[in-house]
Amino acid sequence: MTATDAAAATLRRDWRKRREIVTPEGVPLSVELAEYSERAIALIIDLLIWLTASFVVVFLLGYLTVRGLSGAVFVGVLNLTMFLLRVFYFIHFELSARGATPGKRVVGIRVTDRRGGPLQASAVIARNLTREIEVFLPVSMLIASLGGGGGLRWGYVLLLGWIVCFLGLMFFNRDRMRAGDLIAGTIVITLPRQRLLGDLVASRARFVFTDYQLMAYGKRELQVLEDLLRRPDDRETRELLHDVCDRICRKIDWRQPVPPAETALFLRDFYTAQRAFLEREQLFGRPRADKFEAAAKRD
Amino acid sequence: MSIETGIAREAGGLPPAQRPAVTLKSAEFRRTREQSWVDLERLIGITARKGVRALAPDELQRMPQLYRSALSSLSVARAIALDRNLLLYLESLSLRAYLALYSPRIGLGEAGRQFLRAFPAAVISARWHVLIAFLALALGTIAGFWLTVGDESWFTTFVPNWLSDGRGVASTRASLLNGEIFAPWPGFAVSLGHLSTYLFSHNTIIGVLAFGLGLFAGVPTVLLIAYQGLGLGAFIALHYNRGLTVDFLGWLSIHGVTELTAILLFGAAGLVLAEKMLFPDRYSRVDSLALHGRRAAEIAVGAVMMLFVAAILEGEFRQLVASTPWRFVIAAASAVGWLAYLVALRPREQAP
Repeated sequence: MTATDAAAATLRRDWRKRREIVTPEGVPLSVELAEYSERAIALIIDLLIWLTASFVVVFLLGYLTVRGLSGAVFVGVLNLTMFLLRVFYFIHFELSARGATPGKRVVGIRVTDRRGGPLQASAVIARNLTREIEVFLPVSMLIASLGGGGGLRWGYVLLLGWIVCFLGLMFFNRDRMRAGDLIAGTIVITLPRQRLLGDLVASRARFVFTDYQLMAYGKRELQVLEDLLRRPDDRETRELLHDVCDRICRKIDWRQPVPPAETALFLRDFYTAQRAFLEREQLFGRPRADKFEAAAKRD
Repeated sequence: MSIETGIAREAGGLPPAQRPAVTLKSAEFRRTREQSWVDLERLIGITARKGVRALAPDELQRMPQLYRSALSSLSVARAIALDRNLLLYLESLSLRAYLALYSPRIGLGEAGRQFLRAFPAAVISARWHVLIAFLALALGTIAGFWLTVGDESWFTTFVPNWLSDGRGVASTRASLLNGEIFAPWPGFAVSLGHLSTYLFSHNTIIGVLAFGLGLFAGVPTVLLIAYQGLGLGAFIALHYNRGLTVDFLGWLSIHGVTELTAILLFGAAGLVLAEKMLFPDRYSRVDSLALHGRRAAEIAVGAVMMLFVAAILEGEFRQLVASTPWRFVIAAASAVGWLAYLVALRPREQAP
């Protein structure tokens, strides 16, 4: 990892895991893996919707049972409908133009191809049907055997082991893939929600800095300053700005005192000059990651 | 460029118009492109909320163009701009546009049609795996038959109680004929219930297990399929000893052709997973699995579909058609039908 990457990672407050995909056009994009908690919440929401739909079926069938339908048929048809509802619910929503189930949309996560290619319909079908093997099949067998009475102790252990193995798979691979993701070649990512804020560049500079002064800092310091200038204006921010302004003045040897009322203006001008300088240097092939990296040699 | 040392000049004394104008390449770049980003963002918003159909035709046409221009903006910005908010925004915009444009965006019906076209090709590509699964089943059947013919106590070993349903060593020819092979049709509702429970009790679980256990190097898959063969062989032997072989085969094959093919396909799908995990060729194991896993899953989905057909044949037709020759006719018809769909009439893969 170069110093620039490290700086970028720090600036992103990179507590989440990031991966890189390359779009079919050949542009690398960095994506954020969804947290386990987000995926769990999305699944719970989806299951609640599914259960609600299933209750409707239960009531319909219950009505028919009163009219003389046998219990075995009730259970059979209920099983079948619940299975179909579940499978088609997930597949329908992930194939549609919205691209995610309601639960995933609420949480803001998406399924995407692991390498950045187009997401295939077969991949969506594969990962959703594998969920049946991973979770629903063993759970329903467990429930069935619980209802059926004793004598299945080894069966319990086996089923629990099955569930634990498949759930554990998610925690033991780098990309947080469950078995369905492995088979389909997909990952689950967080949908980014970055808004475009105004440009901080001042159009007319009031304070002018020399190249020598601008050589004190690098990209990382510039972007920290950007963050600072984008903070909402309150007392704390103003104190912070004063403090930063003092430090900058000392560092770049700025002799005139900056009046307190003009601190923000001064910093903005400094930001503009610093960015113009660093961008020019970068274009000339002399990028500078932070203040610790030696400045380019000048004649 | 000269280096000025010492105290910087202050331009504050000058009136605003005479202060030096600042032009940044990145700021200019942003000014000229910003509108197209905003447009793209709006289109993505519409797609996410209401679907692609809500877009006007010209918007639909513009969206991919705007996406590509956003990608190129991102590439340029990465080279020339140090505005972090801008870079993050462009990255997020490009990713959201990528997700919107490269998702399948099809309905269930279209997905079903695509699947029906892809399924035969997937099966053909796994023909050797099907053969291995078939050999496992055949060996199991022969062994089960051979052991049970000589000593019927093997029947209880090979066939679990809940599956034998009262049939076993104590069964007589008459009880098998009237209670099983030519048992009366119980009526639509009951047979539908039977169909559904049956689908969820035995076959799907076996098949899906055979598929999923392929992840464990395929050994459990082969064993599971061979075990199905043992049970099958035991059943055949039980009827053989009572002189009911032909009637039993008719009773079995009306749905068995479809059902056993489905089980074989589940096994083959599991074996595909196993092979691609064990021998990843020039890919990493995970990549190899992703590359071929979809195909394996397609086979498994197709097999579930076949089990539905088998369950309908079994639940509705088997006891309705109380004649062995007719049962064989239906079995042969289903075999021809599946062969035609999977092998003879499959859509050829077009040359690229």
